[in-house]
Amino acid sequence: MIYSKRGSVVRWENGALVRVKESGVAHERGELFECHPDLERRALSPSDVDASRLVEVVRAVRELAREVTIERLIVIEGTAEHEYGDHQWSDHTQRIHLSLIRARKRALLDLASFDLRDVEKVAAALARTDGVEREAPRRLRLAPNVTAALLPSLVAIAPPNVRLVQTAGGVDGYGAPVIESAGPWPNAYRPSYRVRPVRMPLRLRIECDVTDIERDRPTAIALTAPISMMDAQLLARVLIDDGQRVFPSTVRIARIDAVSAPAALYPYGGGSFGAEMML
Amino acid sequence: MTNLYAAATRDELWLHGRLVERRLAHGLAIEDEHGIRAADARDDALVDACDAAMDELHAYVVPDARTRFVVEASADGVTRTIVVTLANRSVVTTPEHFEHDIALLRDAMDGDAAPRSLPFLWKHGSAAVLLHEAIGHPLEHGQPPIELPSWLTVDVPLRQRRASFKDVPLERMTNVVTRQHEAPFTLPEERIEIVLVDSGAYDPLTEVVTLRIAAANLVERARVQSMAPFTISEARRNIARAIVGAAGEPLRYPGVICSREGQELVVGSYAPLLLTELA
Repeated sequence: MIYSKRGSVVRWENGALVRVKESGVAHERGELFECHPDLERRALSPSDVDASRLVEVVRAVRELAREVTIERLIVIEGTAEHEYGDHQWSDHTQRIHLSLIRARKRALLDLASFDLRDVEKVAAALARTDGVEREAPRRLRLAPNVTAALLPSLVAIAPPNVRLVQTAGGVDGYGAPVIESAGPWPNAYRPSYRVRPVRMPLRLRIECDVTDIERDRPTAIALTAPISMMDAQLLARVLIDDGQRVFPSTVRIARIDAVSAPAALYPYGGGSFGAEMML
Repeated sequence: MTNLYAAATRDELWLHGRLVERRLAHGLAIEDEHGIRAADARDDALVDACDAAMDELHAYVVPDARTRFVVEASADGVTRTIVVTLANRSVVTTPEHFEHDIALLRDAMDGDAAPRSLPFLWKHGSAAVLLHEAIGHPLEHGQPPIELPSWLTVDVPLRQRRASFKDVPLERMTNVVTRQHEAPFTLPEERIEIVLVDSGAYDPLTEVVTLRIAAANLVERARVQSMAPFTISEARRNIARAIVGAAGEPLRYPGVICSREGQELVVGSYAPLLLTELA
């Protein structure tokens, strides 16, 4: 069967405004995956995305981050129409990828909507940091955006006390409904018509029997570097706000004490839900 | 002023002699004071040039390895790139250098000798990768140059490049060409010889260079042992200070695929034998 996609995207990338319109098809025959543009279908592409909202978002981010430096800002909005066999579906995407710096320290944010509350919180905190790396507090709370970034890496580790679950909703890369599952993963991720679909968890969330979060714990409010592995342990380099100081630190993810209910979706892996987490 | 950029790309992936992925891409970007408008328009001449070049590359499928071919045609001409991966190590080559580079790849042995504090001898032009990160990327970011030994020159031409018609052109390296001019050189009896570099990164905020060494030999007088992969992470100023010797003409390193803002570009890499004494 043939998969086809046509779409329109507008992207702000570090000062350049880019509008892209394209259409393509992909097919898998046995082990061979092939794809190419499809100009006939492009004529049917959705209309151009209005760039004015995107420009407004850029302006708002710059205003919120006025006391720090924007190292990288990519804002994307797009619409796409998909077909696979008898299935037809469409989606609308918003993304912000932001890197803020101050005192030779960086805070990273990846958002799947134009809700700027995380930007406001992290930019304000980063403006208060002295940049001095300190030891992580023994008891720590992770903000939803930090937890969301951890989830795809946690799948391979399967830590005790928690369950990683695919959340039902929407359709996958073959137009099949995304169903509730704790693995093996029944759905396929297809981020582009040019990428062979791969089975992996979509709309990932984390569950724990303990959901009460202690509000007075210091909070890791943003990543300062992508999640990494060292000696088979997950390492999160984060910016911590303990109520008095804001400082960078490195956290080894060992035991998870509690996880709150899932909140917003973030663009990590095939999508992951943020939730407050207690270590 | 309006700039036009048209390109076509074919890429294929062969696993152990079997074709498993085949892609065609083409498009046109129009850049003016309002930004970039890009669409997957087709230029038949460019697509035909890609097809002809890809047919020629089929003679270079490596039956026991992963072979990726990329052909790109634009107003600048046709480029042909072959990436061969064997046992987690790879070379980036062209038809002209194929035999030499595959021999180097096959000679790179897996070992388990652990890294020790010894001088590094950067063989086969691999020092170009070190200097790509320590000199080239800072130049791209507009950072001030660092002092190198008077007998060493690093030529890093930059120009506006992009990976595809959808990308924003960025000031990027085209080549890294390192030359020594009557440099001191005394071969240490005990040393680590760098053979192949797996990946490199430069953080413009911390000015730290990180290299993942894929193949290296521990040389202790007449005894030579293959080493396990290891990572070098060092501030670029320390790297410059650690360069203590060089010998011979620049050697072509088999390819560097450089990624920045998600745009992967091939950068030519040449360096003589280089000796560093990192603490």
